[in-house]
Amino acid sequence: MTQHLLEWLPAYHDGELSRSRRLQVETHLQDCPSCRAELEALQGLSALLQADPLPAHTPVERFAGQVQLLLPRNSAARARRQNSTPALPGWVLGIPMTLLLVGSFLQAGLWMTSSLLATGWFFGGGAFAAWLGSDSMPDTLGTLFLLNLTLLAGIASLWMAWLAFWWVWKRNQNISVTTELLEKEY
Amino acid sequence: MTSPQTAPAIDEDRKLIASAQLGDRQAFGELVCRHQAGVVSFIYRMCGDPRLAEDAAQEAFVRVWQNLNNYKPQYAFRSWLYRIAANAALDVLRRERPVAAIEDLPLSDKGPTPEQAAEQEQRNAQIRRAVSQLSEPLRLVLVLREYEGLSYQEIAGALDIPTGTVMSRLNTARTQLRRELATLLEEA
Repeated sequence: MTQHLLEWLPAYHDGELSRSRRLQVETHLQDCPSCRAELEALQGLSALLQADPLPAHTPVERFAGQVQLLLPRNSAARARRQNSTPALPGWVLGIPMTLLLVGSFLQAGLWMTSSLLATGWFFGGGAFAAWLGSDSMPDTLGTLFLLNLTLLAGIASLWMAWLAFWWVWKRNQNISVTTELLEKEY
Repeated sequence: MTSPQTAPAIDEDRKLIASAQLGDRQAFGELVCRHQAGVVSFIYRMCGDPRLAEDAAQEAFVRVWQNLNNYKPQYAFRSWLYRIAANAALDVLRRERPVAAIEDLPLSDKGPTPEQAAEQEQRNAQIRRAVSQLSEPLRLVLVLREYEGLSYQEIAGALDIPTGTVMSRLNTARTQLRRELATLLEEA
């Protein structure tokens, strides 16, 4: 006779063994009265425990009704709503920040250039203009001013486009969450 | 004993949970109906007082509703539910000791004659006393396995312990019960 399989018997009794191990235990049980007796003791205990009946309790519908009365109103829906509004994607937030940074950088560059030219022209006059190689300093400053205006207009347009995109995205999110909740509430 | 959950029953639970997570109280009510018997029975076997068991079971279901959004569908719902129920049962045991002595509890099913009924009641009282004498960790595992039919894996999930611990606690509990109930086991 092979070695006893006492340590596997509880798991066998509870239906927790793999198929191959179960077959191994079953084969062993055919030839081992000692393991068979142990298994019968386990089965006997389970049967004895389950023979103790449950006391009568509240009918299930009434119980469920009582639970419903205790539930806080809409807490699950509220939590779901909070969870279901996704955060703005990182790149959407990144666009206005990048525009601000680029705009500020270019603005600073243009402002510094204009200031330097204006100061040089004011103090140096014609000599400065000759040194710079420009015949008409006001024209140069005017060009820079126009460039600045174009840059501001470009950045403003991009901002407006981003705002429009964000508004549409937000509106779609609200509609989908509201529809989901309305479908469930009514 | 509550039977192990079948795949269609698990799928049905998942659908109801998904609806309940969106605030569908009717779906949650159905979920309560499906698991009421198991949860009430589990808490009753733990605390031994039917009235306290029902109150604690209701409390457990309210906690389930409040925490539904923390439930992850990849985990077994029964494990999660019984974890909450186990906490409710332990709260009951710590908050208010059962008013009735566990062996004096009323039975729903009496024997055919008064003598047989008394004899049966005495046996059942002895069983309940033996179960109630187990330490809480042993009793939790034993009740979940013997009365509720949870698998080792589900018990491990419900009690947040390794499967090996489930097996060793179950073995210890059974050994103690076999010693306590030796006379009844021999008669049977």
